[in-house]
Amino acid sequence: MNPVEKAARDSNVEKCVQCGKCTAGCPSGRQSRLRTRTLVQMAYQGQDVTGLPELWDCTTCYNCAERCPKGVNTVDAIILLRNLAVQKGNFPRIHLSAIENLYNTGNGFPLSPEVAQIRAIIGLKKEPYDVSTAPEELEKVKKILDITGFLELVRGGTT
Amino acid sequence: MKLSLFPGCIAKNMYASIEKSTRFVFDKLGVELVDHRYTCCPAPGVFRGYDIDTWLALGGRNLAEAEKDGLNVLTICNGCYGSLHGSNHILQENPEKREEINEVLEQVGKRYNGGVEVLHFADVLSTMHETILEQKELDLGLRLAVHYGCHYLRPSEHHESLNVENPHIVEDILELVGCEPVDFKNKLSCCGAGGGVWSGDEEVALSVLEEKLAFMSEGNPDAILNICPFCHLQFDQGQKKLQKFNIPVLHLNQVLGMAFGERPKKLAIHTHLVSTREIEKKVKGLKKKG
Repeated sequence: MNPVEKAARDSNVEKCVQCGKCTAGCPSGRQSRLRTRTLVQMAYQGQDVTGLPELWDCTTCYNCAERCPKGVNTVDAIILLRNLAVQKGNFPRIHLSAIENLYNTGNGFPLSPEVAQIRAIIGLKKEPYDVSTAPEELEKVKKILDITGFLELVRGGTT
Repeated sequence: MKLSLFPGCIAKNMYASIEKSTRFVFDKLGVELVDHRYTCCPAPGVFRGYDIDTWLALGGRNLAEAEKDGLNVLTICNGCYGSLHGSNHILQENPEKREEINEVLEQVGKRYNGGVEVLHFADVLSTMHETILEQKELDLGLRLAVHYGCHYLRPSEHHESLNVENPHIVEDILELVGCEPVDFKNKLSCCGAGGGVWSGDEEVALSVLEEKLAFMSEGNPDAILNICPFCHLQFDQGQKKLQKFNIPVLHLNQVLGMAFGERPKKLAIHTHLVSTREIEKKVKGLKKKG
């Protein structure tokens, strides 16, 4: 069994009866290329879907998983397939800045000088109490990310 | 009650007005909020989509911080709730996975034993109706289009106490402070921002949003009411990007802050992109009780 098929099976895709409720209720699919029913079918058949850009059009709203009459974890399947895509270097490069932010500040969205100013004016701590203002803790966060190989994963995959 | 506040990246670093009103409201309600050195939850769409184990390790690290002080975690964002509640569920239910993650955490002197509960602030508020009424100084009289947001409602198996098909816990809170919920079509649908789509494919994110805003605007609400800073950001920034609609956007804690008598300016709702001037005028014209 190849990894794509395994990801599908881990998410109960073998129970899918191709009824199409997932695609019908998908708010992204109405506006994008994403066809959840087709995607899970292809994955279940072991086809390599990791290069398909629509893998990244899912907003993870869980409408599909919630409505599936057979209990298929469609969103979890998409997340697992994204993980496989990342391992192969197939991911939208636009997310790299959020990943770098996470590594460098502990936050996906870092603090800007403008918002720091607003924070001070409205009586909040100018710099939030989090890892970004605690160098020792931030080092520990970086070490965790180094151990899981997160940065290496996305940097190594860059084509 | 004492809880660890998990403000999340957006309420901290982009919409500080939401953190401000959260601290004001929970102080009024007699809930002590404790700060911890947190990271991003990390975001359930992008970071979980990239590497589940990294997502679990950082989630576990956050939960370990609260566990050290024996506190439960209060989230004010659906993304943070979905992420931390989801990672907590795995770490509590799957001891093998927890040990695997703890092997990582122990290398930086931390450990998570599964002893923390992750709460969504709307659920906490729903248990405090009487205190909310005691603290209320103004009946705001605002007509609000309520947006629940996906990761509060779904997956429903993680939120057993909630009626996910027809939720009314936010409307019940709004009615306590004299606000009127305005119904609209496809009310429980997505704002379009989640799953990394907001940053990854703006065209899709804005198309989903536009459909939602069109339905919301039919009822001519005074504002869009949300319980998630990421949905808040999508509604506030998205209307500017679409150059369409002009509906003010309010987080539930901002509405409660005004109802508890704080001036809108002090809560900094004027720092939103879509003008909140009409809301400020309305609230300014109201008379306090007593």
